[in-house]
Amino acid sequence: MNRNAGKRIFFDAIVFGYLLVTAIIVCSRAAEPESLVYLRAGLFVLCCVAGAIAAMILRARGIQTVGGVLFERPQISDSTVPATWYKTFWGGSLIFLFLVTFVIGWAVTDMDLYELVDEHGLKGAGRLFAGLASPQFDILPTTILAAIETVFIAFMATVIAVPVAFFLSFLCAKNIMGGSTPGFVSYGTLRTVLNVIRSVEALIWAIIASVWVGIGPFAGMLALMIHSVAALAKQYSELVECVDEGPIEAIQATGATAVQTVRFAVIPQIVLPYISFTIYRWDINVRMATIIGLVGGGGIGEILIQYKGQAMWHEVGCIIVVIAVVVWLMDTASAYIREAIK
Amino acid sequence: MPETILSIRNLTKTYDNGITAVDGVSFDVDRGEFLAIIGLSGSGKSTLLRCINRLHKPTAGSIEFDGVDVVGLAPSEVRSLRTQIAMIFQHFNLIERHTVMSNVLMGRLGHTSTLASLFNKFAAHDRQQAMDCLELVGIADKAHVRADQLSGGQKQRVAIARALMQQPRVLLADEPVASLDPATCHSVMEYLRKVNREMGITVLCNLHFLSLVRQYADKVIAMKSGEIVYYGPPDAIDDDWFARIYGEQARQVEVQ
Repeated sequence: MNRNAGKRIFFDAIVFGYLLVTAIIVCSRAAEPESLVYLRAGLFVLCCVAGAIAAMILRARGIQTVGGVLFERPQISDSTVPATWYKTFWGGSLIFLFLVTFVIGWAVTDMDLYELVDEHGLKGAGRLFAGLASPQFDILPTTILAAIETVFIAFMATVIAVPVAFFLSFLCAKNIMGGSTPGFVSYGTLRTVLNVIRSVEALIWAIIASVWVGIGPFAGMLALMIHSVAALAKQYSELVECVDEGPIEAIQATGATAVQTVRFAVIPQIVLPYISFTIYRWDINVRMATIIGLVGGGGIGEILIQYKGQAMWHEVGCIIVVIAVVVWLMDTASAYIREAIK
Repeated sequence: MPETILSIRNLTKTYDNGITAVDGVSFDVDRGEFLAIIGLSGSGKSTLLRCINRLHKPTAGSIEFDGVDVVGLAPSEVRSLRTQIAMIFQHFNLIERHTVMSNVLMGRLGHTSTLASLFNKFAAHDRQQAMDCLELVGIADKAHVRADQLSGGQKQRVAIARALMQQPRVLLADEPVASLDPATCHSVMEYLRKVNREMGITVLCNLHFLSLVRQYADKVIAMKSGEIVYYGPPDAIDDDWFARIYGEQARQVEVQ
């Protein structure tokens, strides 16, 4: 049995197990004591085993399942016209799967339309919106100072991240490193580490940094910088990976060394997209910096969370106006510059 | 008796994916010759040229350049080999964001120290020579224009100037006119003839159009599936030969 067939059966087993266990729980309408969790887990495993058997039977009979579509290339025969997708077995089970998941999702997220129109809740929301709609501009000077701090946090995070990411981008570009085994190993390792760093949100890094260096703008800058290095290194390296091979060949053909080839054939091709990505990253960092204060990263988010804590909605309204203006300005400026250097 | 500059014996190149692009090819090139290589796309013409300046490493066989086998050369020796064998390409492969002058100067990279070139420093006589080369291909007035402002024919002439900067003994031209219109095509071919006749540089040129071959080449190699099927003067390629080089292949494609 090949690897894809294994993947297919594993996937189908999970799907069938999921459907079966949902059916059983819905039908039994069991109570919710904690001990039942293990029972359900056991039940799920059992159902998956049953699902695996079902998947193997279906595969043996040549019936296409969702897993089959995903992991095994469907056999294309010229003689028969393929059925419309939703009339096939896999299409039907996909629709059924989606409907069941939607119903469960409704229950899990505690969806309650009544809460939306509850009189008490509506009143509270109304008060809040009224406060936001009539901002208290007395605190404008403090807010603007905090906004400036925010822009600087983003600026410093970007400026420090750029050279580090620039250096790393060549080390994690497949076309530069893929040539030899040690190169490929370091490429893989670096890629993985950067992916892990990037998958942790800047907000989480801010929490870590505020414990590390104490609450304040430095923590916010550090958090954004760490996240930016990982994000920029990935974007930069993708640029390096899709440079045109032609000029590289041409420069090599003159008898140039590897360093000269990078200098004359690679860098001229990537420098403008590099700048473009960098400005975009600064733009993103400003946006991130406004909320990073919520967890102790300094800047405008810090005073936002203070006023929110005291339910001073008029002041919160003023801060939101300033944030909107700053983000809009940065967004426009960054889009304009990126367009200009194309 | 003309002197042999390139002597290729049983040259074979098999790529990592198992495709043999050049299969046991042998021929000699005389000094000062204009040799055209014709054949369908995928017949191994480009691979053959790239083996000669070692952009590709041959799998087997030998390529003697001036009596030295280039197949076994170390990386630094390969670089010095490349300074003597210039190359131009179908898509010109200029650095689009640099000026024409800067592009032509890149022909001297093999003779410039890495450190100096990092700061874009080239010797004064190199700059003078670059102007001379641009003069030669009739494009000196564009020296300070960015390469991406030029037309296709102009770009290819800049590429020829870049190649001449190397003061090469052999010029490899990989389908130099395939992305040009017919009028520009002849202008570029004329410059290649000039380089060949007046400067005595040996030219190996991949071409698609038989009419160009008859007009410009001294000798022709026709390749098919990585092998040489014709070697001789261009005039001897009649309709029968044409069908053998291009026609049968077309039928073979239909069968697949």
